[in-house]
Amino acid sequence: MKALFLGNVAADTYEGIKGELPPSLDCVILNDPVDRSALPEAARDADILVSNRWMADYPPAPHFRLVQSVATGVELIDLAALPKGCAVCNSFGHETAIAEYVVMAMLALHHRFFQISGEFRERGSWSTSWVQSGTPHGEVRGSTLGIVGYGRVGREVARRAAPFGCRILAANRSPRENDSDVERIYPLSGLDEMLPLCDTVAICTALGPETTGLINARRLGLMKPGAFLINIARGQVIDEDALYAALSEGRLGGAAIDVWWQYPSPNEPNRRGSRHPFHELPNVIVTPHNSGWTSGMVRRRWDEIADNIGRFCRGDSLINLVTTA
Amino acid sequence: MKVSFVGNFGARPEVSKAILAKVTEKIEPTVLYDIGDSQRLIPALAEAEIVVSHIWKKDFPPAPRLKFLQSPAAGLDLIDLPSLPAGVTICNVDGHEQAIAEYCLMTMLALSHKLVDIATAFRDQSNWSGGGAGGGPLHGEILGKTVGIVGYGKIGRETAKRAAAFGCNVIAANRSPVADTGDAAEIYPLAELDRMLPRCDVVVIAAGLGPETRGLIDAGRLALMKPTALLINIGRALICDEEALFAALKDNKIGGAALDVWWRYPSPAEPNARPSHLPFHELPSVLMTPHCSSATDGARERRLGGVARNIDLYVRGEALRNVVMTTS
Repeated sequence: MKALFLGNVAADTYEGIKGELPPSLDCVILNDPVDRSALPEAARDADILVSNRWMADYPPAPHFRLVQSVATGVELIDLAALPKGCAVCNSFGHETAIAEYVVMAMLALHHRFFQISGEFRERGSWSTSWVQSGTPHGEVRGSTLGIVGYGRVGREVARRAAPFGCRILAANRSPRENDSDVERIYPLSGLDEMLPLCDTVAICTALGPETTGLINARRLGLMKPGAFLINIARGQVIDEDALYAALSEGRLGGAAIDVWWQYPSPNEPNRRGSRHPFHELPNVIVTPHNSGWTSGMVRRRWDEIADNIGRFCRGDSLINLVTTA
Repeated sequence: MKVSFVGNFGARPEVSKAILAKVTEKIEPTVLYDIGDSQRLIPALAEAEIVVSHIWKKDFPPAPRLKFLQSPAAGLDLIDLPSLPAGVTICNVDGHEQAIAEYCLMTMLALSHKLVDIATAFRDQSNWSGGGAGGGPLHGEILGKTVGIVGYGKIGRETAKRAAAFGCNVIAANRSPVADTGDAAEIYPLAELDRMLPRCDVVVIAAGLGPETRGLIDAGRLALMKPTALLINIGRALICDEEALFAALKDNKIGGAALDVWWRYPSPAEPNARPSHLPFHELPSVLMTPHCSSATDGARERRLGGVARNIDLYVRGEALRNVVMTTS
């Protein structure tokens, strides 16, 4: 049995899991993103591909029976370029890290953490302290959190937010079983009913036809004045212009934005994430699409990948099966 | 019933007014903000049966009628107990513990995720940290981490409850034995703190200030902590040795800290006083806030509501809540 680890993330994965792989497995590691000269030879007799990319113009790989993605999204794996019957599996491990980010951002927005700690550090301002009769800041307790997209990430958010004493609502495309953390799960068509109830709205949905542009000017207008918006999903779920207007005019209380409408390129490594200066708004927390990018996530992902390769070699049923070519 | 609101907390206008608005029984209030004004402090204390104050100084004038001292704060460290007449019931307030527990989770998350560094570099320089859509240097998380809480009272328990939901392993140390361990997997006696500290990825100081806790976190105990460990102090600054903590952070002997309580406080003459004689504000691994972890709208409502409720209970001759002690 032979496995091909292709690309730098796959090469890192190999280093992390080599001790857990079956000793009989023959592993080939190709981590050069440009030099593809060794690829035809390596692909010819490999049974397993570990990568996040396999394109139509790649060399023949007639024996692939498992493509194990090193990411959750498999949009760079061309099913037509794979032999019929080849299983495509993805990997997770990021959902708990992202859920931590969502609760952290919700707390930081309600507590006005960046403003208060920034003024204290830079100017020694005690104006928010009890010593100087400061205006109180908010808290999460007793507030209502609405989770848009109640999947793996959304459920982990709810589980962590519940002991803070928040009321938790959710909206999801497909029907979901109610669980003990959530008071009510709306269908996505009921979103307009849910939004006006929320003090915090967390976007945790996948990007698809139903969710592109979902949070538009009209729906932002349905949110409570002063409410907070957190987006860890994809930039395109939210209307860029409408969100900037709602924040810069003070209709929303603030936002935490981890996912963007535009991304850097090799030519423009410091490209701004939006055509609007969200980074100039005082109550917006901006992060570079790395909410789930933790050392723990990488370890969990490696463990899932090692587990799945072991299952494949033993002939056991696979985990995280996305589709079969 | 004569009730005196005294000092720069209980007699602060927004505090005393909010309490008085919630009191339903008939009382005769006196409000005196400046305890240095002895002309007014003497009659205010001479006649009051109830005093609302977080402070009681050694040189306070006599309070012969005083039966009930209600602090609008949790900590009683500014109340000089020997100067009080005998038979005074002292109560504090709660309702801040949920707000402070939120702060503890917020800061342990922010320190672990390097939120301030990442967000500041992205805001100022559009620094994508070598990533883009995912990728770049990894940051930390709190799942599976061991959180050690020093002082397992109301704040400690509320913190434990929330941290447990994040998949943290919660342990605690407490002065007195704890019957109900709540969400903590293990409780150490305070005397065995040295066995607990080396296990912790996060240490939360949630103890009150007293003889057993003053200077508790000294150079020796900081050295027992993991080099990556995070320290969160929402208790009192004097529980930590100022010089030793600064040195440990500056030399990266511990991973970072979130500090809400301080060794120095502002005065009218120096309203923007730095909170320590050492430049903690120059250390990149420190998150710092001006003693405001409990300063939420919700906590204020709960605390001032608790003061008003206790005044009503006292006037009606019913049992008081949050009784800390009665002086002898």
